[in-house]
Amino acid sequence: MSFIELEGVCKCYGPRRVLRNVNLSVERGEFVSIVGCSASGKTTLLSIASGLRQADHGSVSIGGKALAGFPRQAAIVFQSYSLLPWFTAFENVRLAVEAAFPDWTVARRNEKTEAALRMVGLGQAMAKRPSQLSGGMRQRVAIARAFAVDPEILFLDEPFGALDALTRATLQQELARLCQVAERPVTVVAITNNVDEAIVLSDRIFALSKGPEATLGTAIPVSLPRPRTAATVLHDEQAVRIRVKIAQYLTSHSSKPALHGRPEAIPSRALALEVEA
Amino acid sequence: MKFRQALAGLLLPFAGILFVGLLWTFLSAKVSKDLPNPIKTWEESKLYVLKPLEKRGEMDQGILLLASYSLKRVAQGFVLGAIFAVPLGFLLGSSQLFFKAFDPTIQVLRPISPLAWLPLGLILFRQSEPAALFTIALCSMWPTVINTMHGVRAIPQDYRNVARVLQLSAWSTFTKVLFPATLPYMFTGFRLSLGIAWLVIVASEMLTGTPGVGGFLWQEYNSLVYSHILLCILTIGVVGFALDRLMGLAEMRIRAV
Repeated sequence: MSFIELEGVCKCYGPRRVLRNVNLSVERGEFVSIVGCSASGKTTLLSIASGLRQADHGSVSIGGKALAGFPRQAAIVFQSYSLLPWFTAFENVRLAVEAAFPDWTVARRNEKTEAALRMVGLGQAMAKRPSQLSGGMRQRVAIARAFAVDPEILFLDEPFGALDALTRATLQQELARLCQVAERPVTVVAITNNVDEAIVLSDRIFALSKGPEATLGTAIPVSLPRPRTAATVLHDEQAVRIRVKIAQYLTSHSSKPALHGRPEAIPSRALALEVEA
Repeated sequence: MKFRQALAGLLLPFAGILFVGLLWTFLSAKVSKDLPNPIKTWEESKLYVLKPLEKRGEMDQGILLLASYSLKRVAQGFVLGAIFAVPLGFLLGSSQLFFKAFDPTIQVLRPISPLAWLPLGLILFRQSEPAALFTIALCSMWPTVINTMHGVRAIPQDYRNVARVLQLSAWSTFTKVLFPATLPYMFTGFRLSLGIAWLVIVASEMLTGTPGVGGFLWQEYNSLVYSHILLCILTIGVVGFALDRLMGLAEMRIRAV
């Protein structure tokens, strides 16, 4: 049995069936990406996999145990940063450290917090509030907060979706590096609407068909040597094949134009799936 | 252009004050002979203004001293009200059950005038001081209750998610997430509540005859010294304005975060 297992997961919002029969298995230490269009149910899928929401049917298990609520050994990074504006970068990260290591001394917690912020290159900006930081820096704080608790599992909910292309590329590299140097192997489940991002970061990629009734395709393994960069991935033959495969799956499985999507506002820039042919 | 704006900024408020002063003079000259004109008012009250901290008797005190008694009472009543208002607002905002149970009662209690509560306070406490505090607290707490409630409801789901995924304890969730997120709304409530507390103090002092701006006003009305009534009215206005500005500044600082 795999580390993370989703079996026959279905989810409806009222009469609208968002997910249908989703199966997913992730091995320990693996980086898995789920690629899909906006409003296809990606976020719903991730919140079910992370225990933030309950599936209507099907089961979710982590480490062989049925999932009940957000797992202790996990961390998550949201697209919206989700930093608390009344705390500084340091305090935001420390809040996570305090909650994860309640029996540590204050000095040790502060040390851990500082180390996490230095890892993402924010040694100079620790005393700043989120409102004083750029979008990229805010997301760095959020990433530092996630890694500060030494998570076994990391959920990423379109973590770079709100960032410009350059910042996005830099942060992808940082994230890949952080996963490599982490104290214990991190299992990552990421969702994204950017195929190249998935290719740069993942061991395996799943495509989620357009909602409603979205479901996952078969796994597409990525065996390109690491470290990968956006530039090397751009013209690589395997990467090109993967892009085509994903594009084919997404177009052949789209039932209706999924514009009547989820309740949150859909950023117009994300409407088209970013596939560079 | 800048010069003209600055000039207008200074001159126009003066023009407004001048207009009201002229209206006042006109009223005292043509409508009621009992109403002292501005100059007479100043002549008769300058002792209180120029020696603002002198205590000559129980009621016969400098205007700042009188105002400070009123302010102290307002502060006590306001804090007492807030101590009940904030938890009540949190309960109303976070529990649908609690809201359904108590919202109608609150809507009925809210519009009751201080003049109606004061006798009840006197019956309950048999002394004017606690009765006054009871009235101030009860009348001034509602804006804080309502604003805190709205603040709790307006907490973004993002912040709640943070508390959930970090698995904060109930206490940490409250002190680190819910309370700070509600603070700006609470301060809007505090500002409105303080304004009401200041309105109530005059009425309650008038009815109980305790020393303070309102008590002094009522005593001078009974002793037919009308210019002192006008002095009190102006003082109440200026102090109320200052309080609102101070709370406004505090609110801005909270919102700036």
